[in-house]
Amino acid sequence: MQPAEPARAGPSPDRSHPLDVRVLCLGNDLLADDALGFRVARALRREPGIRGRGSVDIVETPESGFALLDHIQGVRRLVVVDTVVTGRAAPGTIYVIEDHEEPEDWEAAPGTSAHYVGLFEALRAGRAMSLPVAEEVVILAVEAADVVSVGGCMTEAVEASLPAVVSQVRALLGK
Amino acid sequence: MSDQHEGLENSWREGARRAGATYARRRISIDPVTRLEGHGKIDIFLDQAGEVERAYFQVPELRGFEKFVQGRPAEEMPQITSRICGVCPTAHHMAATKALDHLYRVEPTPTARKIRELVYSAFMTEDHALHFYFLGGPDFVVGPTAPAAERNVLGVIGVVGAEVGKRVIAMRRRLREEVISAIGGKVIHPVLGLPGGVAKRITPELQKQIREVADEAVEFGKFTLQLFRDVVLKNEEYVGLITSDDFTHRTYYMGLVDDENRVNFYDGGIRVVSPEGQEVTTFAAADYLDWVAEHVEPWSYVKFCYLKPVGWRGFADGTDSGIYAVAPLARLNVSEGMATPLAQEAYEEFFETLGGKPVHHTLANHWARVVELLYAAERLKELADDPDLTDPDVRTLPTEVPTEGIGVVEAPRGTLFHHYWTDERGVVEKANLIVATQNNSARIAMSVDKAAKGLISGGEISDGILNMVEMAFRAYDPCHACASHSLPGSMPLLLRVRGPDGGVVERLRRDSDGNVSRERP
Repeated sequence: MQPAEPARAGPSPDRSHPLDVRVLCLGNDLLADDALGFRVARALRREPGIRGRGSVDIVETPESGFALLDHIQGVRRLVVVDTVVTGRAAPGTIYVIEDHEEPEDWEAAPGTSAHYVGLFEALRAGRAMSLPVAEEVVILAVEAADVVSVGGCMTEAVEASLPAVVSQVRALLGK
Repeated sequence: MSDQHEGLENSWREGARRAGATYARRRISIDPVTRLEGHGKIDIFLDQAGEVERAYFQVPELRGFEKFVQGRPAEEMPQITSRICGVCPTAHHMAATKALDHLYRVEPTPTARKIRELVYSAFMTEDHALHFYFLGGPDFVVGPTAPAAERNVLGVIGVVGAEVGKRVIAMRRRLREEVISAIGGKVIHPVLGLPGGVAKRITPELQKQIREVADEAVEFGKFTLQLFRDVVLKNEEYVGLITSDDFTHRTYYMGLVDDENRVNFYDGGIRVVSPEGQEVTTFAAADYLDWVAEHVEPWSYVKFCYLKPVGWRGFADGTDSGIYAVAPLARLNVSEGMATPLAQEAYEEFFETLGGKPVHHTLANHWARVVELLYAAERLKELADDPDLTDPDVRTLPTEVPTEGIGVVEAPRGTLFHHYWTDERGVVEKANLIVATQNNSARIAMSVDKAAKGLISGGEISDGILNMVEMAFRAYDPCHACASHSLPGSMPLLLRVRGPDGGVVERLRRDSDGNVSRERP
């Protein structure tokens, strides 16, 4: 059997997003620098200007790959906060990746996963199936130093990046 | 390209010359630059002639788990272990819960046991669906010989159609939300299991909801099996690949079976069969240390499991080598059938087509997974229909003083052991986990080795090595990083050729568009 053309345009996607913006914080609070996403979510909830805004949703989850499909739907704009280990920048470095850059223009972005699909693939698959996935995606990724120590604290450099990440999310939400 | 090949070959010759007698090996690393679920690193050691001496599959390891759990109440283990693993939290939650039963020497009530198995069946259905369609799909639904750029999730959707893709996603969502979460709390943070039972009873309304989902799941399982027949089995090329020697190892197999030696994911005896298909033993979870031993290699922190009574004979298959496999193919090999009718038919078709038991073809794992998906859905339905499901007696209170507890389940990726030692208050002093992929690690290493040997010769590295090596380990559905998700989430595969001084002489990179580029620093 010859594979068919990858599905690109299906029926018109459902654009009825009940929410305007979701901040999707990925991470794991048991794994050192990987706690960053959860810490950002917590800090954002304390921000007076954000709390109570009906159109903004803050979600934190340790899930990945296709499980993220549940979180990238039903919202117009998605701001993703996560850690990344490229080894090409100092820990604490913040990358801002716009959706239209994915994935070709981002050097650290990827080929086909050996095993699981990632956020970008979940987004593309969602669009290919005409699911109501976010129309705009911005990713704030922080270079991490340690994401494998169970119960470890965040390293100093990543801890120090926290206020800047929160403030960048705020700025994005203000757009 | 030919200049590059020549350059590469020259580098090798130069490396071999400089290495001399005391440095007979060079090393190639296939190393993802970011971590992700199931990410691995492949090291290929070459001899002086540029031939593969041995290729190894390595995985990152979480550090500090033992220290982290020391001093915590054992009751927290179902939560802690499921939080560490973002891939199969339900499997860790259930293995931990069963270890607590054993720790406190308490049996769950019949209804509690049914509720646990029901949740577990829903989990196995949705996890197997995820792997078959989206993770293994690029190899089998799109096809192993399709251009690399199409061997991805979009390619799968292109073949099966957007509507089928939507159906898979909707099915998984219903199973996760209307069954697993409705009974056990968030999928990612389950709070269902307690020593001696479960935290929540099932109301008649909830049972009705579960029955509806279960009906849909059985239809979904039937549909998936038919799709496998239509897309894979009707294609002789695929069947030829499944049965090719490149993806075949004659090892032992291990898996949980019920009283009648049928596949069971939640409980039973751990059965082992030989490469000839003869039963070696069926042991109780509590005796696992008599059967499972771990071999350590100096080049890796991965511990390679093997059958203790058979012994470690290196990375070799055959009856004399204690290497064994777990996961769907192993479970079908160790069993004498499936406990549900449709899955039993699918089981018989599987072995008839592939020439009887045991099947040693690694790529048959994808088919075995479909058989198991159907079983999980049918078992979910049986349990959902059980009139006792709404019985309020869902907990036996523990009264014994705890010392040591062992729990085992079949995770989607194979047998999962949890073992805790506690003081008399139930505070953890020591913990040992053997995750599914660790059981498979020696056989995975053998598969990667075989793929590398087939593709590297005389110092020449084929562009296809990245995909072929991936296929060799993807069939196992390997999972190591019990919490990885970091961006970008998918892996640029990098293969580095190192000279004897450790410097990189050439890089191969496979990018998102599937193209392989070569670069010499």
